[in-house]
Amino acid sequence: MNTRTGPRLSDGTYLSDLINLETREVKMRTLSDTEVYNLEMERIFAKTWVFLGHETEIPNSGDFMQRDMGSDSVLVTRDKSGAVNVVLNVCPHRGMKVSTLDSGNTQAHLCIYHGWAFRPNGDFIGAPVEKECMHGKILTKEQLGLKKARVALYGGLIFATWNVDGPSFDDFLGDAKWYYDTLWCRTTKGMEVLGPPQRFVIRANWKTASEQGASDGFHVLTLHRWLAEVGPYSKKPGAEGSGGDLTPEMYGVEVWTDHGHTMRCIDLDRKIRRLTGKDPAVLTVEEKLTVLPPPGLTAEMVPDLFKNLSKEQLGIMASAPPQVGNFFPNGLFEFIYLPQADGKVVGAMALHAYVPMGPDKLMFMNWILAEKDTPPELKAQMLRISCQLLGTSGMVEQDDSDTWPHQTIVSKGAMGKNITLKYQAKYETGKPEGWPGPGHVGSGFTKDDTNWSFWQYWYDLMTVEK
Amino acid sequence: MTTLQQHLEPTPLPPTIRANRVGSGDPLYAEILDFLIDEAELLDNVELTAWSELLTKDIEYNVPLRMTKPFRQSDGTVIRTVQHMHDNYGSLLLRVKRITDTRSAWGEDPPSRTRRLVSNLRVFKTDKPNEYKVLSYLLIARSRFDFDYFDLIPCERHDVIRREGPSLQLARREVIVDQTVIGTPNLGIFL
Repeated sequence: MNTRTGPRLSDGTYLSDLINLETREVKMRTLSDTEVYNLEMERIFAKTWVFLGHETEIPNSGDFMQRDMGSDSVLVTRDKSGAVNVVLNVCPHRGMKVSTLDSGNTQAHLCIYHGWAFRPNGDFIGAPVEKECMHGKILTKEQLGLKKARVALYGGLIFATWNVDGPSFDDFLGDAKWYYDTLWCRTTKGMEVLGPPQRFVIRANWKTASEQGASDGFHVLTLHRWLAEVGPYSKKPGAEGSGGDLTPEMYGVEVWTDHGHTMRCIDLDRKIRRLTGKDPAVLTVEEKLTVLPPPGLTAEMVPDLFKNLSKEQLGIMASAPPQVGNFFPNGLFEFIYLPQADGKVVGAMALHAYVPMGPDKLMFMNWILAEKDTPPELKAQMLRISCQLLGTSGMVEQDDSDTWPHQTIVSKGAMGKNITLKYQAKYETGKPEGWPGPGHVGSGFTKDDTNWSFWQYWYDLMTVEK
Repeated sequence: MTTLQQHLEPTPLPPTIRANRVGSGDPLYAEILDFLIDEAELLDNVELTAWSELLTKDIEYNVPLRMTKPFRQSDGTVIRTVQHMHDNYGSLLLRVKRITDTRSAWGEDPPSRTRRLVSNLRVFKTDKPNEYKVLSYLLIARSRFDFDYFDLIPCERHDVIRREGPSLQLARREVIVDQTVIGTPNLGIFL
């Protein structure tokens, strides 16, 4: 057993009683307990870096959008200097939401309750009838701005934290950055969203989605079996393996880090062999990237990659690129290669946030992206394929959205709450020979180490001494 | 509209021309009402292959996003770039096949019990003699498993219904949902 540590719940249970670090088990009570949830809001979502959206959603001075950092509503804004700000969407006067809109553009956010006004960066401009000084004289105007979070921009992605003096964003990304650069920082112009995110609510705990998002491979075999039955991975007559078998897609390399960021780097050799009829070993990195460009890229865009990434990073992109993975705590990305009926491969690029909305409710947000340089026709194709497979109506992800509520419901049972989630399939091999990337690496058939690293970092944050 | 937006968005629907209204006493109105009610019956009974036979090969089927915007920007509340559904004939057929031809379409197997209430029908002639612009309200009550609540999906449908030979077919559908954040865990059902 672990040393009993961390906060105590009202029935005397220590946080550390809920997780067994040796046998890699987590009690299901964590998936619906209100006290655990409240601790998560303070110890995780008010402390760590949280993904909020993409810079291209707010391109102009004054643009803003309303988002959630855990249980707090925030405004993500662009000010006159071009900087992105994240401020608490709570009026410091009498607590009304400063904006109730999804998005918009203004240089002065006016609270509709008593008329206090704030700049995009949160600074207090003033209250109506300036000479009568509605805000009194006890606090200065400088003290009456909207609460400001610390912001980091990375490859166009917007992250923020309330832990203003805490670890830097680079520290937070850690070993994941080397890989994530191959996704978010690979082209000179960068990415853009193709529209606002889809949003829908699932009656499930945010961790049911987020621990799966930590690169769970095994569920694909069963929960997404249709992909190989009639979907994009269905077998052509005479192909290896039987219909409905997704086993070949489950081989590759998995990476996990000390901060719960993980990814599955899926082997491209079979696809390249099919497209070229050649042994991938005889092809150069450039040849492989040109014949099977990463999602969102055309062959013409491949030379741009060589300006932005190292030889080692390019090597991984051409052979086993990260295709699914997560940002701890509640972000997920997909950069997937989808074979089409005509033999071509079209990529899809999507980002999710599983926003906690109480112990048994989450809001699923789904952004669809492309490179700015992606030709418009390809963007349109990527958009349609993404909407068809992922998110609200996604033929893949609608199966996930029916699973998580059941896990959440059964975690409330007197017996069910003590049943454990198990992460006991461990990699017994280390990095493949010549693997140039950092972090913890396993290769071969998918395992549980990635999901387990999500829980390890969850445990670290939940039990840290204040 | 930017060029990119044109690529991303579906073909614009034909306009609703009020002068071309087909009144509720017209036999054409009754025929279209019967078509929509029969369609709802097929969907509620999960007769999806029969439903798919009502679709034209060039159908575009869309469910735009909604956004909360001020009164004076009400045009901006419907988003047609990223949408909840962005489908054509091929993808609709794949959705049907996923349910009829596999044993692993877990999102709808076991299926939801649904009740589609179609009302407030308005029919308009278009500049094509065999095509009608058809607006209707739809309220879906969706029940899953043993849950003691219903997911309600209220929406307005903007359809183009085309006469092909003796029968009517669905040539276009845009579904304007009333929620910005959809309150059902997926759109594994057709609206």
